[in-house]
Order: sequence, then C-alpha cells, then structure tokens
Amino acid sequence: MPVFKVPFNGYSVKFSPFYENQLAVATAQNFGILGNGRLHVLQLGPAITERASFDTADGVYDLCWSESHDSLIVAAVADGSLKIYDLSLPPASNPIRSLHEHGRECHGVDFNTVRKDSFLSASWDDTVKLWTVDRPASVRTFKEHAYCVYSAAWNPRHADVFASASGDCTTRIWDVREPGSTMILPAHEFEILSCDWNKYDDCIIATASVDKSIKVWDVRSYRVPVAVLNGHGLCGEEEFAVGVDMSVFVDGLLASTGWDELVYVWQHGTDPRAP
Amino acid sequence: MAMRELVSGGAACAVPGSSSSSNPLGTLANALIGSSSKTQERLREIPTATATTSDGNLYAGVGEPFASLPGSELEHTLRPNLQGSEFLQGFRSVDQGQFSDAWDEIQRPQVPHYQGRDGLTNFPLEQPLAQQNFDGPPQRVLSNFLHSFLHSSHGGIPFRPTSLPVLGLSEGDKQCIRDRSSIMARHLFADKSEEFIHSQVNALLSSLDIDNDIRARGPIPGDIRSWRIIGMSPKEQSQLASIGQMRGSNMPNLAAMEQTRLLAHTLAQNNDPKFQNSKFLQFVSNEPWEITIEDNQFKPAAFSAPGDWATEYDQQYAGGQSWADQFSNEQASTDWTRPQWMLINLLYGCLLLSHGPHGWANEFAAEREQHGVTDNEWVNEFSKLNVNDWSEEFERQVADGTLGDASADNWANAYDEYLNEQVALKQKSETSRGLYEFSDLNPYVGHPNPLKEGQELFRKGLLSEAVLALEAEVMKNPENSEGWRLLGIAHAENDDDQQAIAAMMRAQEVDPTNLEVLLALGVSHTNELEQAAALKYLYSWLRHHPKYGTITPPDQPENLYYADVARIFNDAAKLSPDDADVHIVLGVLYNLSREYDKAIEAFQTALKLKPRDYSLWNKLGATQANSVQSADAILAYQQALDLKPNYVRAWANMGISYANQGMYEDSIRYYVRALAMNPKADNAWQYLRISLSCASRNDMLEACDSRNLDILQKEFPL
Repeated sequence: MPVFKVPFNGYSVKFSPFYENQLAVATAQNFGILGNGRLHVLQLGPAITERASFDTADGVYDLCWSESHDSLIVAAVADGSLKIYDLSLPPASNPIRSLHEHGRECHGVDFNTVRKDSFLSASWDDTVKLWTVDRPASVRTFKEHAYCVYSAAWNPRHADVFASASGDCTTRIWDVREPGSTMILPAHEFEILSCDWNKYDDCIIATASVDKSIKVWDVRSYRVPVAVLNGHGLCGEEEFAVGVDMSVFVDGLLASTGWDELVYVWQHGTDPRAP
Repeated sequence: MAMRELVSGGAACAVPGSSSSSNPLGTLANALIGSSSKTQERLREIPTATATTSDGNLYAGVGEPFASLPGSELEHTLRPNLQGSEFLQGFRSVDQGQFSDAWDEIQRPQVPHYQGRDGLTNFPLEQPLAQQNFDGPPQRVLSNFLHSFLHSSHGGIPFRPTSLPVLGLSEGDKQCIRDRSSIMARHLFADKSEEFIHSQVNALLSSLDIDNDIRARGPIPGDIRSWRIIGMSPKEQSQLASIGQMRGSNMPNLAAMEQTRLLAHTLAQNNDPKFQNSKFLQFVSNEPWEITIEDNQFKPAAFSAPGDWATEYDQQYAGGQSWADQFSNEQASTDWTRPQWMLINLLYGCLLLSHGPHGWANEFAAEREQHGVTDNEWVNEFSKLNVNDWSEEFERQVADGTLGDASADNWANAYDEYLNEQVALKQKSETSRGLYEFSDLNPYVGHPNPLKEGQELFRKGLLSEAVLALEAEVMKNPENSEGWRLLGIAHAENDDDQQAIAAMMRAQEVDPTNLEVLLALGVSHTNELEQAAALKYLYSWLRHHPKYGTITPPDQPENLYYADVARIFNDAAKLSPDDADVHIVLGVLYNLSREYDKAIEAFQTALKLKPRDYSLWNKLGATQANSVQSADAILAYQQALDLKPNYVRAWANMGISYANQGMYEDSIRYYVRALAMNPKADNAWQYLRISLSCASRNDMLEACDSRNLDILQKEFPL
C-alpha cells in the first residue's frame, strides 16, 4: 500500500471530485495547537507523489475541493481565514484569495455539491458562514450555536440544506432560505466533532462525538437515533464513505476515524438491528 | 560574549556558575564551550536513563523522524541534531522529575528570571519565534511537549506540569496555545471530570509560562453542561465562584505577579491533583482573572439577558419543532412568548400522536421539517434533564445578584408556569390517547339506524357527516365493533389521526380478532414509528387470519423481531400471491424498516390485485414521498382522488408532496382544499402555515391562524 508521509499532523484529506487519483491533505504543525500549516496535493499512482504544496501561517484544519473548477481548493486555516488556492496557477500567486471574517479558528469547510457555487465554513467563533467563490465577503452568517462549530455539511440532495455539528452538543440543520435553523438535534451528551449526511438517503445523518460514539439519525424521527456505533477509544470524527467520485458505491457505508488513531468502517444497514 | 552573559548571567535566571539544562542557550553554551557543569553531567547521564513510562517511549520515537522528514529543511539551527537530541533526551527525564529540581533551583532568584526572559527574547542570535517561522530547538521542545500532552491521555497518566526551557513565545502564540489546547483537552478528556481537564490544561499552560487567563475560550456554556453527568463538588464550586467574583482587579506589579506564578509552580509540583487544583487555584486567583465559565454555573459575561439564554435553552431542548421555531421567530424575537408557544408545541405534539391508517402525512419535508413527535417522548426527554435542579440553581444565582434582577424574576415565574402546564399536558396526553372525544350537537342521536346512515354517508364521501352518524351509533351500541371500525376509518380519511386511533382501539377492545382493525392499528403505529407496537398488531393480524394462522409459531414470542415478522409475511405472500392484504401488510412492514423500494413493490403488487382501493393508492403515494420520489407520489395521490374525490387525507398529502418539491404555491392550494373539506384537520393547518411562510405569504398567516377559510379559499383557489 503506498504511503506518503507528511511532516505535520494531518487534519483532513479529500479526493478531488474531478480526478479520481488526486487528493488534497490538510496538515498542521504540533497538532494544530501552534505552528504552521501545509496543504498538500497528491497524485496517486504506483507511488504517491506530491503535485503541489502550500504553506500557511497557521495550521490548516480542513479543506474542500471546488465542485465547479477542477483546480480550486478552499482551505480552512486556524487563524480564522479561508484561503482559496488555484492549482493551475504557479505557487507564487497562490493563494488567490484569502477570506478572513471569522473571529476564531476556522475548523470546517464544505462545498455545495448540488449548487456547486457556494461553500460553508464552520468556525470556533460559533458561526457558520456561507460564501461563494466569486465574492470577497460572506453571503450569510448563521449564528445560533453556543459553542465552537466543528463541522458543516451540505445535504447531498437538497441544495439549500446543511447540517452543522457543534461543541454545544447539538447538531443543527439549516436551510439557507430560512433565517434560523430548522431543526436542532440534541444528538449527544458531549461535544459533537463531526457530522455527515448519507449520500443515498438524504434524511439520514451521522454524528460523531467526543463521547466515543457515532449516532446515526433519521431527521424525520430525530428523537431516537437509528443506530449507535461505539467502538472508538477516543473521540471520533467521520465521513460517510460514499461519494460520487469514489469507487465504493455502497449505501450506508460509513467510515470514522478518531483520536485513538483508528479508522473504522461501518455498514449502516436498513435493518435497524444491524450495526 | 553577550551570549555567555545572557546565558549564564542573571538574565538567564540561572544561578551563576551553574547553568541548568533548562535554558537552551545555556545548554548550547555548555555544549560549545564545554564547561563542565552539573548540567553536563546530568546530560550525560540521561542517555542511560531508561524510559519508565509510555510517555518516554513516545519521546524516543519522536527524535529520529524529525531529522529525516521532508519538512526539516525548513529548520535552520545552529546545531540542529545536537540541540534536538539533547532536548529530546532531556524530555525522557521528565517523569523522573529531574527537571523539576532544576526548575526549583532556578526559581530562587525570582525577579531576575522574569527580566531574563524578556532579555532572551530580544536576543538577536535566537531564532525569531514569530508564528511564521518556527525553527530551532525551542520549536522541537514545544512540539514534543505538545505531543506529550496529547498523548498523556493514552497512558491515563495525568499530565504533570513540567519545567520547560524558556521558549520565547509571543503573546499571540500563547493565546493560541491556551485556547486550542483547552479545546482539545476537552475533547480528549471528555469522560473525565472538568476538574481533571482543568488541571491538565493548567499543567500544560503553567509549564509553558502562559497565564491561564480564561478571558479566552472557555468550556461550553453552563446552561448546556449543567445537566451533564460531570458535576463538581460544592467546595470546588464555591472556589470557582470566588474566582468568578474576582474581576478586574488591578494587575499587580510584575515582580509580585511573577512571585505568585512561581510559587504556584512550586506548589504545582506536588503530585496530588486535588492539591494542585485547590491551592493552585487559590494562588492564581490573585491574578487578574476574568472568569467566564464554570460548569454548573452561569457565564455572567456571556448571558446578556436571561431571556436570551432561556430561549437558547428552549431551542436546544424543546425538540426544535420547526414550525414552533418559525413561530417564535416570526413573532417579535424579543417578545416573551415562550410559555405560549411551548403550550402550542405540546398541543401540536398531542395531535400528531396518532396517525390513522392512511396518514402517511408525516413525511419529512426536507426543506421544512414536520415532526410527528409523540408528546410523551418529548416530555420524557425533557424530564430527564433534571430541570428542577437547574432551575433551583438559577434561582440561587439570581438571589446572589449575579444576573439582572427584573428580567430574571419574570423568567423564573414564566418558567414555573410552564412547568405546571407541561405536567398538566403530559397527564392529559397520556389519557387522551385512548379516549375518544364525541362531538357535541350530534343531529343523528335520535336516528333509528345510525349505523346504516353512517355507512351510506361514508360511501357517498361525506366524511364529516358519516362521523357524526357513526358516533350516534356507537353511543347507542358501544359494543358495535363495526361502528367503531368505520368511525376510525372515517376519521383517518378525514385526516384526524387522534380520533382515528382512539376509535380503532375501542373497536379492537370489542373484537380482538377483527383483521381490518388489527391492520389499521398496525398501520397507524407504523406511522408513528412505534415499531414494537406496529409489529405486535401486524403479527396478530397474521395469527388471527384463518389462512395464515398456521404458519406462525404457536406461542407469541415475547419480543418480536422485525426480521422474523418480515420473513413470516414473505412466506405468507408466497403461500397465496393473490391475496392483496398480505402484500399491503408487507408494504407497511417495509415502511417500518424504511426499505421503501420493497414497500413500493409490495404496494404495486397489491394494487394490481385491487386497483380500485383508493387508500392503497394513498399508501403507495406516501411511500414514494417518503423515499423522496415526490413526483411519482403525486401521480399516486391523483389516482386515489379520482377514486374518491373527498379523500381529505390525499388532498393534504398532495400538498405535502408539492411542498417537498418546493412548489409552495401549489401546496397551499391543496391544503386549503383539504381544509375546506374538513376544517378540523389540525395538522393540515400547521402544514398550511409552514407553506405560507415558505412562500413568503406572511399576509395570509393571520388568516391561517384564525382559521379563516373564506379568505384563504378566495386567495388560493384550485
């Protein structure tokens, strides 16, 4: 299995939606507590090679590829800014844009796969901001969480719906057309680090929390989780492993990783009894 | 040489003549100049010291990769390898406390230490430790240190404050470290007490000489965490409270502050965490702190108005019913409407308690949520939260004058009222579930044969009239199961779920083996996603069925497993593929498990056998809508309506499907049509309201609230 070692601590990795053998890695020095950051763009092949890398003043906590341009990447940086990089331009002119509106660290960024023109940033200043690639300022700010927002994820089917996971132990579902959140999922007893939608069933959302569990919810019956997945030794973060660009097309396949340095792959099936 | 002075003179805080290894430049000087000091000997000893804990192993592992990593070319130090290894080796001795001794030595001259640190940072030879450029041994030291902090959770060993060489961190750096490490510590140690987390973070920060000024990001606000399992002993609470009172005290002069800190460090060497926490906190409470959050306490700075905070709480734990949120948003947000909308919230929940057989109306609208929350569940959740404790605490806080007076009183009163209401409603909802409510002024009461009349009216499609007639019948003959059954169906088709279930339950009491009743009850429980109850009824359907009773096991198993029941039903379907009912039940079952495709298939099979069953078309449509095939759903509903034009439920479902697709204007028309036929369909009123606001027709909202059908019909004709 090919391996590529990055100098800093990794925070996020995403495949490019356009090229199946290209992926980007967000890293931060010293676990992101203090130090620089670096964004790597890697090419998969017989061995993994680095196509480009960009240094940042502070750690990069998350990144996402643009769905509309095959060379654009948005990076969430720990100093609260979002940096947009264009791979087709030489490193000297990158980042092409720096969007600095968040008051605190920017922890998550997600690109809208349906509309393909906008993206969200989730920040420790309790807000989620909506941006479009062409505008220098944010389009909307969603401020309802009471603590750091760790992650925001667009609904794979509905262009205006997204979910945010926060340290105030709730996941909120929003509609960008509405002024406030449309639903609050008090999902865990502890901070929720990550959330993601099931790409096949747009009503299913999974949340991963510091309480070492992952709960899968159906937003229609949000009182009780559909499944609770335990197994991590330390807090979990997760991603539904199904995506249009990935080679695994299995409904309900969920991958999670945690501070216990393990990756679990779960099959969330339709039989409620199945783990 | 300037370097030497700084290193071994007073500036470097080392006792003259014997520089300690905790000073990077001192070590460098020693290494270069080769003075044989205590330090050097110690350093030589270190390689032989065996790592006794897992932490030590981690340090060992960290050293080598650093040299070979591609990133290392960024680092340009004087003697990278030498420095790095010395420091890494130095770290191995952390647990043996050798560095602590060194630190103690240093601390004796207190004031010079502080000045020395300043001096060091100005030293030109030292690498500029701006954020952009983290080079040199201090960087490695720092990263090792941070690594160890994060890994300390693995070994379960409480991270002890360690003396560290002066790293020359800027204020910005320190703030970053402070904030991020406390956030991460909360993640890592979430299952431990807040006290533990606090002490770990303090250990980290004190080792790095960072003021634990909690003016920055603290833990999550008290209103959320106060229900958590983590609790603090009253003593700790009061301690922290006392710290909280300390605010804005003048910053003592540098020396005194330094004294305090050093003393605190010394005390922090003590291994007893309790000791650490209490004494340390007492000491540092002299520092200019501004407390923000303690668990179970409230964040004085952040809660600008108790009203806001309480609203936040409501949103968190009130189940977030979307229309209710909208409702409160649409009203003036500063308006204190909470008790009122809470009440409405609960009533709404009551009404959605039960869905009739054809009530797949609780489809999830992805754009706007409609929650078929059963009131009981919500209330149970709420009462789990020990709100009484919390409200008492809040009252105490109010008494202490921590929060504003007037608004807090109002809030507390409102809250008490609300609690009472809630309890009352809970009782009401529990009993009303099986309680059928007869209408007043029933013109059919004296009728000679109300049952026949009711059946006739039902056939004609005059559902509300049929209901009245049937009510007259069951008032006359309470044991008439057919009467109850038809009444239940009529209510369901009229989109009045609560009554439908009540009627069906009575029917079942009278005749426990009536298959249609059992089916209807199974379907309604499926609507409410009460899997266990649904399975029970559907299973009884099977057992009481003359044909299939044989294939079920003789004794009713205690816990019905979904998979077993599904399997049996599939067998039954194979037994007689022409029996539409089996397919219908199968379709319902698949809806339970959300296998919508299979459900659609089952219903379609049933429809081939029974194409004129309008309720079946409705079921198909609802299933399709649930699996987000809203366009297909509309076609199915249309079929149902062709067969039965007064089918209120289907009209409402049409509206929902349009709304799901974002066609709010159309959905409004359908809702209005449904309501025109049955103004008592409360949930349809809710859906209408939501559609109105989604279509930005706020002008009509008032008409909707006052249930003024005339205006609405004029405005939204079909």
